[in-house]
Amino acid sequence: MEQSGTSTRLAGAVQGLTSELVSALRSGDRFRLAGTVAEGHGPETAADPSLAAVRVVGADAVLPSVLLRSPPPDPDDLTVLSKAVHAYPPPADASPTSMWSHWAMRRALLRLDASLDGASGAGPEPGAAWLDDAPWQLLTHQLAVLAALALPGEDCAVARAARRRPVDVARGFVRAVRRRDWLQAAGAGRWLVLLDEVPRTLGLDTGLEFVAQMGGEDARVALQVEAAQLLRTGVLV
Amino acid sequence: MNDTRLIHQVGVGALEWLHAHRDGFRLELDVDPEVGFLERFKPVGELALICKVLFREGVAGSRQSALARQLIDHAWCHTLDGGRMLVRGQRTEPLSPIPFEVYLPFRELGYSSPEAERAFRLNQRLDSFAALEMSPVRRLGLSAFQRRFGLPPRPPEADLVGATWLGRAPEPWTVEGHIAYDITHTVFHLTDWGENPEGLPAGVADYLATWLPVWLDDWLDLQRWDLLGELLVVDACLPHPTFDERAWEGFAAAQQPDGTMPAVRTMPQGEPDEVFDIVYHPTLVAAFASVLATSRALTRLAHTPS
Repeated sequence: MEQSGTSTRLAGAVQGLTSELVSALRSGDRFRLAGTVAEGHGPETAADPSLAAVRVVGADAVLPSVLLRSPPPDPDDLTVLSKAVHAYPPPADASPTSMWSHWAMRRALLRLDASLDGASGAGPEPGAAWLDDAPWQLLTHQLAVLAALALPGEDCAVARAARRRPVDVARGFVRAVRRRDWLQAAGAGRWLVLLDEVPRTLGLDTGLEFVAQMGGEDARVALQVEAAQLLRTGVLV
Repeated sequence: MNDTRLIHQVGVGALEWLHAHRDGFRLELDVDPEVGFLERFKPVGELALICKVLFREGVAGSRQSALARQLIDHAWCHTLDGGRMLVRGQRTEPLSPIPFEVYLPFRELGYSSPEAERAFRLNQRLDSFAALEMSPVRRLGLSAFQRRFGLPPRPPEADLVGATWLGRAPEPWTVEGHIAYDITHTVFHLTDWGENPEGLPAGVADYLATWLPVWLDDWLDLQRWDLLGELLVVDACLPHPTFDERAWEGFAAAQQPDGTMPAVRTMPQGEPDEVFDIVYHPTLVAAFASVLATSRALTRLAHTPS
């Protein structure tokens, strides 16, 4: 019961944070990450799931600063991101997506202000061999989980794996839409706008609109579609 | 593809079942006029088309060839009463294209009914026949059959492809069951039921090569065996068939020990005739997909340098 209550609160916090990010992307207004997280000192403040929500949203928690022509985030915004990075390190046996999403957060910190993450930098990239061997269904699923890495100019191993297999990612997008897995479809769509040689018959632009229409009540879906459409129109830093 | 045997076995089992249940292909002489006498012709035409593929591809083995010959003989001599039922059907509904469509594969296999042919030829000269309203894929099939019969296709097939769903190459993520059947039948008509894979325009073949793997994956997981079987036929019609291993393994696993293929998920329950009416089509499709894929796989082997 308590476990379920905790995860419900976390899911609510993720939706709340994501909704604010969507609003910021749509309006271009300044987004304050610090304003969304209550004062606390890490995971021991378990009653407040907002810091955990930052970890779940990952590097996308500072997406407006990356995608929009807005001033860099305030130091206290980056402090929140940094806090989430350090409060939730991936365990040694973490899944590749968990390792990579954590790496993506460190990378985002480094991009926006290297000083906050000390001398450690983003650290070495985790391995990405599991994507090379993955059938197209799994490839797309994993890429969608790591959609925060779908950014212009991002040259990590995950992005290179995606660039090598545009048709497979396009197939995964079709599969996700057919299965009404809107979150996966939106994440795959965000990758696809960055890839060359996506089959023209995919109909990606209307596909993204369709995903937003069908699944956009989930703020996480809306965020990925919004990011994809911003990337598509090239309103970038 | 390393398991041509698995693919072949699906067809062997399906044909055994169809042969054992050939009496299920039956017309209803005293049918309610609201249902229509021609309602039960479709299975007979499908049976003939698929037996034709079996003979044509010549990969079925001697027992399968003998079973197919007995099946088609049974359908012509008993079910269609030597063609007299086609004449009766045409007299019942003079404008219907169904008796003509059922007749064509029998004629190509050497059966003949001059009386039915006279009716078809007059029928097809009518402007009304050309004006009958039907979906583009259905009209495409009729034009293909007119060509095969030796009549001028009205309109020519090339004029019709662009009007079909597949011919327009729309968003692949919008495909659902009905659209998928329109896709498979467009491919059947364009390739003369797998006989001329080169009949697929290059753009259509490219489109299918890109998106067919997704649809196979989807309808396999949904356990829609009838549609999956038709999609496996489409695969075998492509310039480079994939013989999708996962799809074929799932399809083969769904087949019953007696060779029946359920239409959806598992076998239906009911009276034998009712069950036949539900499962004859997926079982025919299983035979069709098996023989075409086996033939293409063997052709590929023959052309692979050792």
